[in-house]
Amino acid sequence: MDLKKEKTMIIIAGLIIGAIGSLLVLAGNPANMGFCIACFLRDISGGLGLHRAAAVQYIRPEIIGLVLGAFIIAVAKKEFLPRGGSSPMTRFILGFFVMIGCLMFLGCPFRMVLRLAGGDWNAILGLVGFVIGILIGIYFLNRGYSLKRTYTLPKLEGAMLPIVMVVLLVLLVAAPAFIFFSEAGAGPGALHAAIAVSLAAGIIVGILAQRTRLCMVGGVRDAVLFKEFKLLAGFVAIIVAALVVNVAIGKFTGGFAGQPVAHTDGLWNCLGMVLVGFGCVLLGGCPLRQLILAGEGNADSAITILGLIVGAAFCHNFGLASSGAGPTANGQIAVIIGLIVVLVIALMNSRKQNA
Amino acid sequence: MVYIATFYSHFGAIRFKKEYAGKIEKAKLMPVPRDLSSSCGTCVGFEADESFTFTSDPRGEIEQVVRSTDNGYVVLFKAKED
Repeated sequence: MDLKKEKTMIIIAGLIIGAIGSLLVLAGNPANMGFCIACFLRDISGGLGLHRAAAVQYIRPEIIGLVLGAFIIAVAKKEFLPRGGSSPMTRFILGFFVMIGCLMFLGCPFRMVLRLAGGDWNAILGLVGFVIGILIGIYFLNRGYSLKRTYTLPKLEGAMLPIVMVVLLVLLVAAPAFIFFSEAGAGPGALHAAIAVSLAAGIIVGILAQRTRLCMVGGVRDAVLFKEFKLLAGFVAIIVAALVVNVAIGKFTGGFAGQPVAHTDGLWNCLGMVLVGFGCVLLGGCPLRQLILAGEGNADSAITILGLIVGAAFCHNFGLASSGAGPTANGQIAVIIGLIVVLVIALMNSRKQNA
Repeated sequence: MVYIATFYSHFGAIRFKKEYAGKIEKAKLMPVPRDLSSSCGTCVGFEADESFTFTSDPRGEIEQVVRSTDNGYVVLFKAKED
């Protein structure tokens, strides 16, 4: 595929993904949260009882669909390559702290884009922090940062996360007593589209993201490193499509105050996303990209997803997650610790230590 | 002829470009082409004559080296799994 064709594909995929992101709100998902990888992994964490925040407990079919969509298309296109062994524990820790950054801001990079498209200007501060974090990460990439190579693994190892996703789908549909569901009116976890709609949306986005390698971090990283703007074009296409659909369905409300599932503390919105951008560059992709890579058989990305889920559980068990009222003191301390830990990981895995 | 080398890290690509400066031409850091791989790392695209060969990578940083042809890619070197 030539570069022009590739760019066209990415823009079309971005437009479809952005439109789906907004339409899911119309179908029942929380406002400005048609898709949010961090929020949805947090909801899954709650649905499994790893935390007991009653407002955010639901096994989100979108996540299941993303992984299964990527898995199905990767198998069909002979791109399912079980790989792993590239510093898995470090990736777990990075995933853990990326989630802490996300829940300080109240959203992953995907939701940051959807929040912008919904008129939530607090996300502008998040975007500034996100870009700063990516630039810090790029500095370390150029200094020789690496988590070392991956190795081929048995097929079953690569298929583990997709299998877990099927099990989660069974649990969601069967709804046994030990699975938690936010009660109506309890909060964002109680707001969701029908299972089939969410699952289909996840599968479509999973397929598109696998074919195009769409990545919120990769867009900015490639633009800075290579002056290559095709991934960034996908990023912009998501905003444009989501904005158009939001205006059309009356879900666009510009402003800072009173935005859904958001707070107005600009400094901590920014710092949370600095942590996310920095951590994601070190991981090689945003949370969405990690799900897609895991669907392709990448066990390191699957470990990262586990880090994100455990991070979400910690956020709600220890009062680290922000709310509409703003960030918590515990959350602020956790973000500072996260920035220090990620910095140490970057330093320790850079060239001098690798030589 | 156009060649592409892919790497396990971004820095591996930077180092390759520097170390092979005298042996290859028009070397350029770029994202890995989608039709070569679904991974999204850094590669080095370069030109060299048809006799260009690549047989060993003592540093273990190179994933593969391919020659681009009208019919796709021809693999010249692939990292061992051990």
